[in-house]
Amino acid sequence: MAASPATVPAAAIRERPSWLEPLLVQVAALLLALLISLAIGAVIIILYGENPIDVYSAILEFAFRDATSFGTVLSIATPLIFSALAVAVCFKAGLFNIGVEGQFLVGMVTATWAALHLGFLPGALLAVGVLVFAMLGGMAFAAIPAVLKVKTGAHEVVTTIMLNGIAVSFLAWALNGPLKFTATEGAFNVDLRSDKFSTDALMPNIGEAFGMKPSADFSLLFPLALVAAALVWFLFKRMRLGYEARAVGSSPGSAQAGGISIGAVQIKVFLISGALAGLIGMQQLLVDKGALVQNYEAQLGFVGIGVAFLGQNNPIGIVFAAIFWSVLSRGESALQINTEVPREFVIILQGIFIMTVVIVYQVARRWAARRQLAREGAIDNMEDSSATDDIEGLAREDA
Amino acid sequence: MTDHGEAGRSGAPPLVVMEHVTKKFPGVVANDDVSIDLRPGEVHALIGENGAGKSTLMRVLYGMYPADGGRIVIRGEERKIASPRDAIANGIGMVHQHFVLVDPFTVTQNIVLGDEGGPLVHLSDAEQRVKVLADSYGFQIDPGAVVEDLSVGEEQRVEILKALYRGVDILILDEPTAVLTPAETQELFANLRFLREDGKSIVFISHKLDEVLQIADRITVLRRGSVVGQTTPDETDKAKLAEMMVGRPVLFRLEKPTVEIGDPVLELRDLRGGRLRGLSLEVRAGEILGVAGVEGNGQRELADAIMGLRALDGGTISLHDRDLAGLSTEAIRNAGIAFIPEDRHEQGLVLDMTLWENTVLGRHDDADFSGRGGVLFLKKIKELATRLVQLFDVRARSIEVNASTLSGGNQQKLILARELETDPKLLLAAQPTRGLDVGAIEFVWSQILLQKAAGRAVLLISAELDEIYALSDRIVTLYEGRITGEYAPDTPADELGRGMLGGELAGEPG
Repeated sequence: MAASPATVPAAAIRERPSWLEPLLVQVAALLLALLISLAIGAVIIILYGENPIDVYSAILEFAFRDATSFGTVLSIATPLIFSALAVAVCFKAGLFNIGVEGQFLVGMVTATWAALHLGFLPGALLAVGVLVFAMLGGMAFAAIPAVLKVKTGAHEVVTTIMLNGIAVSFLAWALNGPLKFTATEGAFNVDLRSDKFSTDALMPNIGEAFGMKPSADFSLLFPLALVAAALVWFLFKRMRLGYEARAVGSSPGSAQAGGISIGAVQIKVFLISGALAGLIGMQQLLVDKGALVQNYEAQLGFVGIGVAFLGQNNPIGIVFAAIFWSVLSRGESALQINTEVPREFVIILQGIFIMTVVIVYQVARRWAARRQLAREGAIDNMEDSSATDDIEGLAREDA
Repeated sequence: MTDHGEAGRSGAPPLVVMEHVTKKFPGVVANDDVSIDLRPGEVHALIGENGAGKSTLMRVLYGMYPADGGRIVIRGEERKIASPRDAIANGIGMVHQHFVLVDPFTVTQNIVLGDEGGPLVHLSDAEQRVKVLADSYGFQIDPGAVVEDLSVGEEQRVEILKALYRGVDILILDEPTAVLTPAETQELFANLRFLREDGKSIVFISHKLDEVLQIADRITVLRRGSVVGQTTPDETDKAKLAEMMVGRPVLFRLEKPTVEIGDPVLELRDLRGGRLRGLSLEVRAGEILGVAGVEGNGQRELADAIMGLRALDGGTISLHDRDLAGLSTEAIRNAGIAFIPEDRHEQGLVLDMTLWENTVLGRHDDADFSGRGGVLFLKKIKELATRLVQLFDVRARSIEVNASTLSGGNQQKLILARELETDPKLLLAAQPTRGLDVGAIEFVWSQILLQKAAGRAVLLISAELDEIYALSDRIVTLYEGRITGEYAPDTPADELGRGMLGGELAGEPG
């Protein structure tokens, strides 16, 4: 065989690791997107007659001024990490789990039931039982779209969106029925809620060890979220299931011809995603409130889609993306206290940021595709390279 | 092979001259001081192995890549071509392998798209213009037909008409026959002759040497980014061209090893379902059975059925008398069938995964490569990959790069390495050399013959008669989902052709 000019037997060369360059490109793209969106945000701030630097530094200061502030940021980030991981796990297998929101709500219901009915479990085992039930609830609700997809081909986006509505009603029903408070001593319960959980069911607050005040709500859940991220990383880098899931996600035909059962992989992945989604509500249930309340914080499952995207479905990226997101979210309070800019500015900024990242990543991806294509020497053979589609696409657009 | 124009009207001044064109990519010189000229009224074939630089050169001409050196002279004037738009303005059009047509639009709507000439589209006028244009070059096409109803050959005609509608007189065709049936290829050639008569200059990129010899007026051979020779069909032949391309003599007929044909390994009885309508055959140990047929007669369904990728309505599949019906693909693979799929991207490789991840696909749950707990043994998998990549001479930067970065030939070698490593009882090879250049074809063929030499059974499904003849011990023809005849390997092609078109089933004498 004649060698093409630049290529040599694969085994002969060890070079810098293949993950390094994509990572650098990604970080650079993210920073660029941040600069662009901050600049657009600055225009809006100026229109409000404020100084952008003051506003941005107020947001930053609020997040980083002391241990308690940062602890609060991490507490807000905790559910977002679980949520984004749940989205990312499915995404890697080519599935769009829009039902993370519903799975999270069902997880709160089953966890509440466990916290109120598993009191016979000794000590901290109760808390463990509650977490297990949260995951089981999420898994059970994720199993529905998974089985529908595998058995009938119903698209998971449609079924999960519909199931989200059912989950909202299910939670409302549970709060009105089986989980409705029974204790009336003390005061009137103006809002509908469950009974308070026993302290054994709650997540221990560990903020004190890091010099945070209890108000930071910094609990064992944050390290648990980091563990979950590490497990997801391990799943996709080192485990058979993760390997099969990635193969199914990026080339179902080749995966199937390689003997992988697509349906079995999809169901397993959906269940893992559901288990992670079930943990989203634990911060508010077991740390912030100590009960299931009517005005619970919703939408966390949807925010996870954005955070997963920012983290590019990479567990490590997701942790940082979630923290970044919660710095902005916490900034809402800073704006209210320190500036004339309405708090909704933060939501606008988050939206601008996501859109900028979409655009910048896309541009960076094409740029990287060109570079890789050129470097790998698959030049004359572009019909065989997936990267060429990008190039040809570009060329067509030019034409 | 008598069909050549006026040798490119050698008296006329060239339409395009590319002089000393150099194109570098980081670490690669794709075109090294390449000079070439295109004359009016010629079909100029550009041939070379994958990676030789032929597409790159034409992409430079079409404005998709800036050249690092050299100049382009069009009709006597030096021009800078910075984009495909510039190229079209200079009368240069290119038809890529992958068509970009809007399926629900009509032929005319696709052709005028982007060149409507104003906010209002006079479709009936445009349709008339398209009709005149098509007729003048002998293109059989209905301007009002919807693209999604067209055959691949017709879609290609639309792409060519799109370029002609914009007034180009230099037409670059990148591997135009790769997607065509033999009959469609002949029709394309008839169209190209019309264009040549009209003084157009056509660049024909290909590595199908028979076709090049048939249609080209001049042939330029590239190897490793440089021009290694220029010739005409009268001065050369297939073997000489192949040697120029590869740099060494290429065997078009490999020595078939003599092996005793043993007991039946695979037996198919009355397979039904989808396009399969009662297909039966058997393959014996040490035998290569060639299944010849025009594509679309059940080849894909046959391969999928054997691999358990498609449910059947009836019939039995047995391997060494073991019934494979209803088994999972995984179990069928474990029973001893190795599979080279007809579409290596869709069924062979996961392009977004690394070489080492691809080498273990299908074996990743062997005890050697993952534990009971489901953890992959990365070190062992990478050792396997390193060994296979060396053994099969897969050329890549490292085993950590994605399979998408390999050339087609190297992708196919990777699949061969993976599949043959398992010591199969039967090799199922579907269109194993599709889209490969001569050097890679020779490699794949020799690997298939090695399987025979090792006493394994091989079921070869191919639409290329060359391939069927080069490898098979026995040939069967497939037509509309069933076997229409069995032939010795020295049967003349026209007799095989009758079988491929139905044979006695169609009521003709067998």
